[in-house]
Amino acid sequence: MASVEITGLRKLYGDVVALSDINISIPSGSFFTLLGPSGCGKTTLLRTIAGFHDQNAGRIAVDGQSIEGLPAHRRDVGMVFQDYAIFPHISVRENVAFGLKQRKVPASEITKRVKDVLDVVQLGAFAERMPHELSGGQQQRVGLARAIVIRPKVLLMDEPLSNLDARLRVDLRAELRRIQRDLGITTVYVTHDQEEALAMSDTVCVMYQGVIQQAASPLDIYLHPTNKFVATFVGANNFLSLDRSGGQFALRSGGATVLDADGATQDLVCGVRPECVSVKAGEVAPTADEIAIPARLSDVSFVGREMEVVAVTDHGETVKSLARPDPAIITLAPGSAVTLVVKRSDLAFFDDGDAGGRFA
Amino acid sequence: MTNILRRFDFWTVVTGVILAVLALLLLFPIVRVLMLSFVDADTLEWTLGNYVEVFTRNYYLKGLKNTLFVGVLGTLGACLLGIPLAFFTARCHLWGRAWISTLAILVLVAPPFIGAYAWIMMLGSNGFITNFFEAIGIETPTIYGAHGIILVFTLKFFPFVFLMTQTALMAVNKSFEDAAGNLGCTPWQCFTKITLPLVFPAISTGAIICFVLSIADFGTPAILGRGFRTLSTIAFAAYRSELGGLPTMAVTVSMIMIVISMLALLAQRRILAKRRYASSLTNLPVKVRLTGWRNIAVHSFCHGVVLIAMLPTLVVVYTSFLKTNGPVFVGGYGLESYGRILRTAPEAITNSFVFAIAAVILITMFSALISYVIVRRETAAAGTIDFLMMVPYLIPGVVMAIGFVATFRTGFMSGMSAAWLLILLYFIRRLPYGVRSTTSSLRQIKPSMEEAAINLGAPPLNAFLKITIPLILPGLIVGSLMGFITAINELSGTLILYDSGTITMPVSIYLAVLDGEFGLAAALSTVLLLCTGVCVYLVFRFTENRDSAFI
Repeated sequence: MASVEITGLRKLYGDVVALSDINISIPSGSFFTLLGPSGCGKTTLLRTIAGFHDQNAGRIAVDGQSIEGLPAHRRDVGMVFQDYAIFPHISVRENVAFGLKQRKVPASEITKRVKDVLDVVQLGAFAERMPHELSGGQQQRVGLARAIVIRPKVLLMDEPLSNLDARLRVDLRAELRRIQRDLGITTVYVTHDQEEALAMSDTVCVMYQGVIQQAASPLDIYLHPTNKFVATFVGANNFLSLDRSGGQFALRSGGATVLDADGATQDLVCGVRPECVSVKAGEVAPTADEIAIPARLSDVSFVGREMEVVAVTDHGETVKSLARPDPAIITLAPGSAVTLVVKRSDLAFFDDGDAGGRFA
Repeated sequence: MTNILRRFDFWTVVTGVILAVLALLLLFPIVRVLMLSFVDADTLEWTLGNYVEVFTRNYYLKGLKNTLFVGVLGTLGACLLGIPLAFFTARCHLWGRAWISTLAILVLVAPPFIGAYAWIMMLGSNGFITNFFEAIGIETPTIYGAHGIILVFTLKFFPFVFLMTQTALMAVNKSFEDAAGNLGCTPWQCFTKITLPLVFPAISTGAIICFVLSIADFGTPAILGRGFRTLSTIAFAAYRSELGGLPTMAVTVSMIMIVISMLALLAQRRILAKRRYASSLTNLPVKVRLTGWRNIAVHSFCHGVVLIAMLPTLVVVYTSFLKTNGPVFVGGYGLESYGRILRTAPEAITNSFVFAIAAVILITMFSALISYVIVRRETAAAGTIDFLMMVPYLIPGVVMAIGFVATFRTGFMSGMSAAWLLILLYFIRRLPYGVRSTTSSLRQIKPSMEEAAINLGAPPLNAFLKITIPLILPGLIVGSLMGFITAINELSGTLILYDSGTITMPVSIYLAVLDGEFGLAAALSTVLLLCTGVCVYLVFRFTENRDSAFI
């Protein structure tokens, strides 16, 4: 078990910056997730740790030892691949034993360790099967077993669940986390699925355009996004325009004054999560710690557990709401007048712009 | 510093070795040929005189004209047979389709010079067809000269056009034709305006292969020419007459041949550059069921073409079992011809096998390494190697062999024996077959396979041997078999490099034909055909798409 320190890591493809000044500190035994849209650099970062790419600058240390100069086969980091990469010409047992044989582990110990790890991933009965006889989920378990049996200092996982169907993904997610906790192995996990990232991780690191946007616990990421990108990418968000007069900011839709900030140097927008917006039929007056925005119903979809409401304010801004199903709303005709009610404490403010920072 | 050290890994070394080998065996001989063509044979000074001579003397100009004449008409003939054949097999329900493509493949891989001399046995001055018609008082046209060469080229090279066009036709999305029909095209308009342009890249690739091979072919004009000279026979004759001196005229003629091949390839690339059609295979073409006289006509055409193309092979095998007394056929059947090859030319058989197998071992090793570098390493060196792999296709065997002589029989590298020169010649000329097949195999393997092995602690060489090689083995075997077939059938380069101890089967056959020893030639050819046939069978066993493995 080992900690991972990455400092000042840079990676260029020609003129394109793939990774820009990456600094990460991962405590021993923790589950660290790189989350971001495709092309954000998360896979590049993972593969650089594994040694499949050369970095242009920076240091990668495992347990204080620099590994950035070592060739990939001497880094002692286990990797689980998105496409499983199970060797198709040898059996499950030989796949799992491959890394141990490379390390010249005695045969008797190989037999024992392969058996143990296959039991851990619940594939004990499949040792003699060939890879093509296994389902996708089973192949990925072989991939995991093969990576952890060598007892690597760090486990790297590159979107390991993305090729599986939704149901299996959720099951295997829990199992991965259980095995990771039992072994206490430091894990770097790459995904573009925010739900997966929030459900599994100790730390979620959101990346965008080769830059780390925020690295924090799932709860912090969700409740206190540091900028507009994180607020949008993790969970959904509504952004409402603000009008400024002096130090006072008021919602353009509805006109409620929501912020008193003399220090603001640029334009701000107001973010509010869909689940914080409640929709009431007709006109409703807000309490002191609430604001109310008059709007017209645009669309309601009832999906069972909850209802998704889309409303358009008098200034033409679209607001989404996610709430417990309310028959009074679901039966309303599109175009009906509604009031959107939000608690003042649920509002967050950001600098305007693509990745505008959070205004504290 | 660490980065520089890391880049200097196993595959960097391999890339360096490959480049060095290609430079020594491929580029160096070609450059020697190029340089010698600018040297005066007597004064040893730089001169343009050789080229002036080639472009002013009638002997050479006639050869150039002849070469282009039989090359263009042979290619045209191959297209006239190959395109309809491809269309019928791809679009009509045809009885015996697998049989037709198998015969076409056999024609393709049969030793190239067998066709020429088998036609002599049929239509030559003492051929059995000639004699048959003479007996009933009809004079048949002679096989010797340009039209005979064109006939042999047509029947020998049409499988390239056929197999490439067929593959392309089967991949044309039927929706295109449906759409054209829906917009008001008649079936014939659909074919000429939509289908034909879509498969044009494949047709032109097949045609260009025919043309380049026709230009390079030595055996056919040498056997059938009778005074009708092409550049390859002229280069060979010039080399023979210049023995002892500098082969300047031979290399100058060789340069002309290289330039013609290169111009043809460049022209085709230029035409194709604007035509790249990506096609998704959602709607496969359906085959029509022909009836009545059309059905009979199409079947007769398809089976007729491949049977006539196979005729030389059948004649050769048949002749080999005729009773002979010396060079004379005495009527009846017997195994005397086989007895004679065992008595007079056993070393030709062993030599052929030893050289071809040695070359194939080298081809297999280098194919595996080269294809890995080409597919997995995105370096400038990898791109260069990929490009160099096209060069041997463009260099006629006579030219490559003259380059070998000019490079390895002079100066500090002159110590190599004829056997080694032949092995290295076969290796460098047939290497692209191995690389092509292995490369397409490797492209199907995801890079994560090797990365997983390396991640688990395997050094690059170990990962390559334990994971990559087993996964590309089918492609490697097919490529090696193709290399073997083409190496054991090599004639033109061998004729220049062989000496008394290194005679091969194709050379023995060629010499026997020149001596009129048709029984002996037939028996040796049958042995060659047999091992070619075994290899073709093995290729069929190891490949899923049998037709495209051969082109």
